[in-house]
Amino acid sequence: MARRLRRLTPYLFLLPGGLWLFIFFVLPMLVMASVSLQEGSLGEGFRLTWNFGVYAEVINDWSPQFIRSVLYALIVTGLTLAIGFPIAYTIAFRGGRAKNILLLLVILPFFTAFIIRTLAWKLILADNGFVLGAAKDMGLLAPNFQVLATPLAVVSGLTYNFLPFMILPLYVALEKIDPHLVEAATDLYASRTQAFLRVTLPLAMPGVFAGSLLVFIPTVGDFINAAILGSRDTTMIGNIIQRLFLNTNAYPEASALGFVLMAAVLVLVAIYARAVGARELTVG
Amino acid sequence: MLELSTRARGLAAIAVSLVVVTGCGIAGQSPSPAPTPAASPTPAATGTDTASSGPTATPTAAVTPTSEPTPVPTPAGQLDFANWPLYIDIDEESGGYPTLDQFTAESGINVNYVEAINDNEEFFGRIQPDLAAGHSTGWDIIVMTDWMIERMIRLGYLQELDHSMLGNFESNAQPYFANGWFDPGNVYSLPWQSGIVGIGYNPTLTGREITTFDDLLDPEFAGRVGMFSEMRDTMSLALLSIGVVPEEATIADVQAAQAKLLEAAQRGQFRAFYGNDYYDALAAGDVALTIAWSGDVSQMKLYDNPDVEFVVPETGGMLFVDNMAIPANAEHPIDAHMMMDFWYDLQSATTLTEYIGYFSPVNGVRDLVLQHAQEARDDGDSEWADALEVIAETSYPSADQLDNIYTYKILGEEEERQWNDLFNALISG
Repeated sequence: MARRLRRLTPYLFLLPGGLWLFIFFVLPMLVMASVSLQEGSLGEGFRLTWNFGVYAEVINDWSPQFIRSVLYALIVTGLTLAIGFPIAYTIAFRGGRAKNILLLLVILPFFTAFIIRTLAWKLILADNGFVLGAAKDMGLLAPNFQVLATPLAVVSGLTYNFLPFMILPLYVALEKIDPHLVEAATDLYASRTQAFLRVTLPLAMPGVFAGSLLVFIPTVGDFINAAILGSRDTTMIGNIIQRLFLNTNAYPEASALGFVLMAAVLVLVAIYARAVGARELTVG
Repeated sequence: MLELSTRARGLAAIAVSLVVVTGCGIAGQSPSPAPTPAASPTPAATGTDTASSGPTATPTAAVTPTSEPTPVPTPAGQLDFANWPLYIDIDEESGGYPTLDQFTAESGINVNYVEAINDNEEFFGRIQPDLAAGHSTGWDIIVMTDWMIERMIRLGYLQELDHSMLGNFESNAQPYFANGWFDPGNVYSLPWQSGIVGIGYNPTLTGREITTFDDLLDPEFAGRVGMFSEMRDTMSLALLSIGVVPEEATIADVQAAQAKLLEAAQRGQFRAFYGNDYYDALAAGDVALTIAWSGDVSQMKLYDNPDVEFVVPETGGMLFVDNMAIPANAEHPIDAHMMMDFWYDLQSATTLTEYIGYFSPVNGVRDLVLQHAQEARDDGDSEWADALEVIAETSYPSADQLDNIYTYKILGEEEERQWNDLFNALISG
């Protein structure tokens, strides 16, 4: 009996989390799957008709926005990595006593709501706001120059908003690296670059992997930045889903788009995991 | 391990059966009007009753079964009011709402006023699942545009009003706005404010006077033009610009209007398709001209940017009437009636108009605003007096405007889907 209980213990430990996921993740997903296969309207109601055609239809209708979202997310992941890595590296290896304060500074923006931070950028970058307006008054910029309502604004907004999600996992990975390993490498006549490329970077790969996922996945589905900072030509798939759900009441199409997005993300992540995982194996 | 996988299979079986159940649940969620009328007041409340003091005349009897059967309606002391931004008087210093405070002082009803509505469709999308399921939406009063009121009545999503509790409305309602096409007899809704969908522009940025819808498509203003994300507003103005009266538009007309806008959108004519935030874009100069709501521009001129102007396009503007209504299953309907009637008091209505500058649905507002203007002039505040005189002029549509404004087309579901498909393709590049 006792042995049996012991064998069950891991599953019992999994129970709260499992239930949580079941109720708040699995069930909604099943409901969404069901909705995506329904047909109807608000007045007549929606009925499950197993209309799989809706998937082909939404992919056909909204592929430009899909491609754009993936492209933006890839750029944003690259940018946050390029910006975040030096920051995380500096905090981990050169932070000294200031480490905790520096980390606090990294997460400080989270004390303000996401949407407020994004709206703040809209004010800062307004065509005749205090930055661009001043530059235009001084003749540094053409009077018609604008940042808002361009892809640059949307990608920058996304990069700004998701940067901490890259820095934190990178920091965790880098912080764990024993500095003596780098020392040992240089003792063995590795140059600093070689030591970085062959010791530090491979050891930091779990952080790169985690950070990339934490940035890429929410970025692909984000609609706030495109809605606030963008224009018609920066419409992302999140905006389409939001509009179909809330404005058009096209629940089946919106649900189907959600699933296509999820599938696309899963495929991309699987490819990425394979690539990174393989490298980790060969190096580690 | 084997044990787990069988269990997992069991879970999967449960999950699958749940899909079936939830699937049916959603299908059954279809807003067949059946659940809602049960919660709406008894038919006696529609106004045909002569002795309005009888217990049947109070909608509470059906809605709050807990209260003892007393004929006098008792307010709950609480009210949840969803409205659009910039649609009420605000004390600039405290951020409070003076007129609402006055209502609370008089009635003892605490008002939770939230600027929760940015777009008719979007707000409807938020509350629709609750309405379809027969739950309270959490709101006692919502303010929706005429065509949405028509749709919500059709779906059985609104409570009938008890006109015995709306004495101010009965005596002060402006005939032009009462009894609208979307709700004859004001059975479900009372006008809140009204205005015109037209063009707002900043002459210092456009460099010339704007007169027609086609000015919005002029390449000279490329990238500095705003459109609305409200499908009906944008499409109706575009329809008028090709000479089609929106109420008579066929799907071919809508396609033509969409093609006209799409051509402009593809060459980068529009900065964005805005909700309420067009206000900031116009006030800040991010757009030089945009589709706009008349009252917003009067407000902007007074408080945020003295340069801006509003014009009804030569080809025609759209008259919209925003209405207060009580969603089905609202928790505090008595309080809601009292609040709605409060706004038909001449004083409250005038305060509101003097602050927000829309058309008022209440008789006598213009005269009272003019009287206040005279008082301000006598006190030596000629600036405020001038502002009030302008507001008095815009508190009711002018003769010119009345000749050139149109109302929305009632769209059936299939037709609405076609319009939406065209519009979504237009606004998503």
